[in-house]
Amino acid sequence: MDYKIALSICIPIGLAIAAFGSAIGLGKAVSAAMEATGRQPEASMKILVNMIAGCALIEALTIYALVLSFQLMAKI
Amino acid sequence: MPETHSVSTHFELPNIISILGKRFGGAKFPEYAPILENIFFSLLVGFILSFIAYRASRKHSLVPGRLQSGVELIVGFFDDFVCGIIGPQGRKFTPFIGTLFLYILAMNLLGLIPFMKSPTSSLSTTAALALCVFFYVQYTAIKENGPLGYIDHMMGRPRGIIAFTVFIPLLIFLIHLVSEVIRPLSLALRLRSNVWAEDALLTIATGFGFAGIPLAVFSMFLTILSSVIQAVVFCLLSTIYFTLAMPHEEH
Repeated sequence: MDYKIALSICIPIGLAIAAFGSAIGLGKAVSAAMEATGRQPEASMKILVNMIAGCALIEALTIYALVLSFQLMAKI
Repeated sequence: MPETHSVSTHFELPNIISILGKRFGGAKFPEYAPILENIFFSLLVGFILSFIAYRASRKHSLVPGRLQSGVELIVGFFDDFVCGIIGPQGRKFTPFIGTLFLYILAMNLLGLIPFMKSPTSSLSTTAALALCVFFYVQYTAIKENGPLGYIDHMMGRPRGIIAFTVFIPLLIFLIHLVSEVIRPLSLALRLRSNVWAEDALLTIATGFGFAGIPLAVFSMFLTILSSVIQAVVFCLLSTIYFTLAMPHEEH
């Protein structure tokens, strides 16, 4: 098996796993934020800011995987 | 047209420096092109922001004009933001965090203007910003806790019987050291990856010609949203690192 075949198979799978993990994490974060807003609608702006910060932290891991996949794609 | 060959990671739209370089640059220009682009556009953003600040602070009047009141609104927002997280002693960090936010936001949004490039799409700029934050946080930790208190803080403040075992504080020191070093790395990589991904998306979306206009509009919206969010997250994390470096009061 050539290294190109191995890379071509594994890069999309790795990226898909990263996207899947981030979707689950973001879903939990946003659902918790929605529930908190439902309990206390006056605090919705503060909850929104904290939710955006949490989502950016989770998203960063997926974007690391994306950048790595671009670097690897150049080696095919 | 996008600069994509068969499979390449060089997704960039042409900007002022690259166009001039293709016309007038010699054979060695492609080597220095990224360096020149980053420096030129960072300095451009710096000059524009400094000029706006200079014009806004020239005449202090009790009834402020439009520019002065706009700038005061922005500064008041940063003051509330930083002091809300650090506490009343966070006043001295407001200039740094505010400058960081405006600088990063302006650099991120510069990529949307035609013939300009966001300097934050390269690791050099974001690593420089993250290193500034890292050194300032360590300096603040040493100044607020004292040198001995700094080492105490890095060892997790051992008290009681744990302070006499050599092994546990040393282990905690190593773990804390690793986590401190990882912070600027993650800050730099997060900002750079997000802005670079936006640039690549814009390059691909505009490479489709007229048929890709909906995709280009959608990607511009994503770019603006992502630029603002990444600037907010960078400053929020820096503020939290400052909070963690100062001495905590135990109840």
